[in-house]
Amino acid sequence: MGGEGKGGSVTARVLARCFRALAPIFPLLPLLPVLPACSTDDRTPVVLYSPHGRDQLTLLERAFERHRPDIDVRWLDMGSQEILDRLRFERVNPQADVWFGGPSPIFERGTQDSLLAPYRPVWADRVDAKAIGRDDLYFPVYRTPAVIAFNSRAVSRAEAPRDWDEVLEPRWKNKVIIRDPMASGTMRAIWGLILVRSLRQTGDTARGMAWLRRLDGQTKTYTINPALLYEKLVRQEGLVSLWDLQDILISASKGMPLGYVFPRSGTVVIEDVIGLVRGSRHPEGARAFIDFVGSEEAQLLAAREVFRLPARHDLPPDSVPYWVAEVEREMVVTDVDWNLVSTRGPEWMRYWDQYVRGTGEK
Amino acid sequence: MTRIRRVELLGGVLLLLLIWLIVYPLILVLIEGFRGPQGWTLDFVRSFLQPHEASALWGSVWISLVSVLLAAMVGIPLAFLFGRYDFPGRKILGWLVALPAVLPPLVGVIAFLFLYGESGFVSLMIQRLLGLEQPPWMLQGAGAILLVHAYSMYVYFYLFTRAGLASLDASVLEAAASLGAGRWRTLRRVVLPLLYPSLGGAALLTFMTSLASFSAPYIFGGGFRVMTTQIVATRLNGDDELAMIETVSLTMVALIALWMLRGPRRLDSLAGGRKGMAPVRVRVQRRGVRLALALLGWGLAVLLLLPHLTLLLVSFVPLGTWTTEPLPPAYTWRNYLTLLEDPVRARPLFNSLWLASASTVAAVAIALAAGILSVRSRVPGRGLIEGLLALPWAVPGTVFAIALATAFSVRAPLAGRFVLVGTLWILPLAYLVRNLPITSRAVLAGFRALDPSLDEAAATLGAGRWRTLRQVTLPLLRPALLAGASLAFVTAFGDFVTSIMLYTYDTRPISLEILSSLRQSDVGVAAAYGVVLMAVSAAVFALGADQGSGG
Repeated sequence: MGGEGKGGSVTARVLARCFRALAPIFPLLPLLPVLPACSTDDRTPVVLYSPHGRDQLTLLERAFERHRPDIDVRWLDMGSQEILDRLRFERVNPQADVWFGGPSPIFERGTQDSLLAPYRPVWADRVDAKAIGRDDLYFPVYRTPAVIAFNSRAVSRAEAPRDWDEVLEPRWKNKVIIRDPMASGTMRAIWGLILVRSLRQTGDTARGMAWLRRLDGQTKTYTINPALLYEKLVRQEGLVSLWDLQDILISASKGMPLGYVFPRSGTVVIEDVIGLVRGSRHPEGARAFIDFVGSEEAQLLAAREVFRLPARHDLPPDSVPYWVAEVEREMVVTDVDWNLVSTRGPEWMRYWDQYVRGTGEK
Repeated sequence: MTRIRRVELLGGVLLLLLIWLIVYPLILVLIEGFRGPQGWTLDFVRSFLQPHEASALWGSVWISLVSVLLAAMVGIPLAFLFGRYDFPGRKILGWLVALPAVLPPLVGVIAFLFLYGESGFVSLMIQRLLGLEQPPWMLQGAGAILLVHAYSMYVYFYLFTRAGLASLDASVLEAAASLGAGRWRTLRRVVLPLLYPSLGGAALLTFMTSLASFSAPYIFGGGFRVMTTQIVATRLNGDDELAMIETVSLTMVALIALWMLRGPRRLDSLAGGRKGMAPVRVRVQRRGVRLALALLGWGLAVLLLLPHLTLLLVSFVPLGTWTTEPLPPAYTWRNYLTLLEDPVRARPLFNSLWLASASTVAAVAIALAAGILSVRSRVPGRGLIEGLLALPWAVPGTVFAIALATAFSVRAPLAGRFVLVGTLWILPLAYLVRNLPITSRAVLAGFRALDPSLDEAAATLGAGRWRTLRQVTLPLLRPALLAGASLAFVTAFGDFVTSIMLYTYDTRPISLEILSSLRQSDVGVAAAYGVVLMAVSAAVFALGADQGSGG
């Protein structure tokens, strides 16, 4: 050990000892300085919590930042339920400025917890007044109709079921894949439609539940997320599903063999809404963003690039993409009492989960 | 006299810290569960006492018990094979076999679907080979959950048993042999009892992990009910209070298990304090047997790494091209380029690195302090300290995330509550708490195995306490520290359930990026992230395993 020179060796030895002592944590230490790089730009951040997915968020972020170079749009992409949870936790220290997207019932729950602040965007008069939250807490941006989806390689458009009841035909036995309805706003809306229909026709939900039990019998499996739903449809593990228009269009545009049909007897349209977060730290930028999302430019952009059906009815017909015109022509909308679905929904879903799921005749 | 007081003071501080970090948030959450809009209530408890709730809880319990059994049946023999016998390729195989521990969240389970799902690679092969009309099986129900659990959790038994085998004293085995005990008898009467602490630890870890397991039952469960999926369904339905009661019930089961599996720890002292040499591996002499063992080993390794390979394959598949073919028809680098091109998308990797490092370093520091105070100085309340350190095991990740978010979203410094939600600090704090059981278990076991006479020797030679710690204790603890730290790092690095509740724009971790890609059905990009995550985890793991066994 004593073979080294005297002068430098003391330090060297001390260093070596330190190194040996600290060896267990050494490999990890160099990574520590990669602490969050402080944002070097002086733009005002505007934080969005949104379930809309990367493609759409990036698109709108870039378009908006072109208008407002002084703003840095940052978004966190998560499910609607997670957004609600987070906004609740962060009430004392809000991190988000805008709650962008999600079905109106979940925003309704948010308003009960006072998570939103009123803001009436400049385009407020151009959208369906029925879909506006009370006290101007949220406004519709897009409409999401539910459709019957199918694998277009295995099933032609003519063969595909053309109404809800046709999905119950024997030829689709064990060919239906359903997104887990407990976890999905779209599915809850479809379930709501079936049950409200039964309520209207017979005065109670029994017939609707019987219908859902027959659907359960047709269903091969419930998938936990949309990605798996498409995967199973594409791989022909199942051929038919009930899902929303926008996701089918966007997946088809990416090359997946998926097609859709609007149910003839009428479908539900989920209002996808936006609201200002209460206690937002950058309210000016947040309001500007909300104004932008409903602007003609942004509505058309979202329709062209990511297949969002605009909530505004006053867009110039010659600039609206072709598919929007087609959808408006084909789509039959059933009026569903959303208040009823909001209040009775949880109870219905619980009943379905406990007594209907898995009881259909296979 | 003053010295003892200072140690006791430090013990007290540590105890307070642990209570504040672990128990306090849980209690706050518990209180919320019993408070309705009009004050205290037991309504939610009543709605819990329904048959389907009980069946979900029972489902969780039996699935976990069987998972322990299956994981033990796979992990223990493997550990004996690689720990006791020497044959070509043993070292690398021994490492490969541990890799299921680094299968990333979300995409890992999807790899299973691509392999064994009804249109998966293996299923299609068998279907074509046998000329079947229908896929040979449906990957659904309790069986599928158990398969995934056994696969991902045998690693605990494997690692713990190997560590236990490595710390056996050869002289004890020789003594048994010279007293005329046969191989079986030695195994039954000597080796297994000495392995009890390791096996107990593995059983506990497996039970807890499978009790808290969410993705497997959610994706493969079909109609099968377990408590974790039930909680999410209830929350999604807006019944937050009922969800809280369900959470409490699951935590109770976990606590009971923790308490019951505490027993074997007393044997630690028996296993520790080893003075002799580790037993030499049996070199397999006969060529035929060597070859068979090597083949068996490689076969096993390939089988066990199939999900990893699938993920790698998927990461090269362009979007939407792989449909009904057994193998993907086209390949691309695109998915990886996507990660590299945009700095915003590369950032989560660095975030996860520093978050996991910081939390691991902190967890190791606390574990070390606990080791010194509890094993060395034997401060009063050491049982409590050790119990608290193990407690986070008993609490599912989601619950802890909610508890931390609840506790640290209120400004009340006098009550020990600060607003950390939405800051950088909440996520490393959460990882830290979740890392404590693993690191402390490794470090405490390491301390117990140390020979106290070495300390005394250092002291008589004039070394101060710091010097002894630095030059004697820490180097001796290195294997234990590294093993614990690497496992903790890998867990934090891939964490999903805690992160999703607590991340911010500046701390978005890699698992959230995987989720985000999956939400766009960019399975390829998600898989590419998964592969990066896997590679880093495997490297860290190799470091830990290598140093751990070589130390």
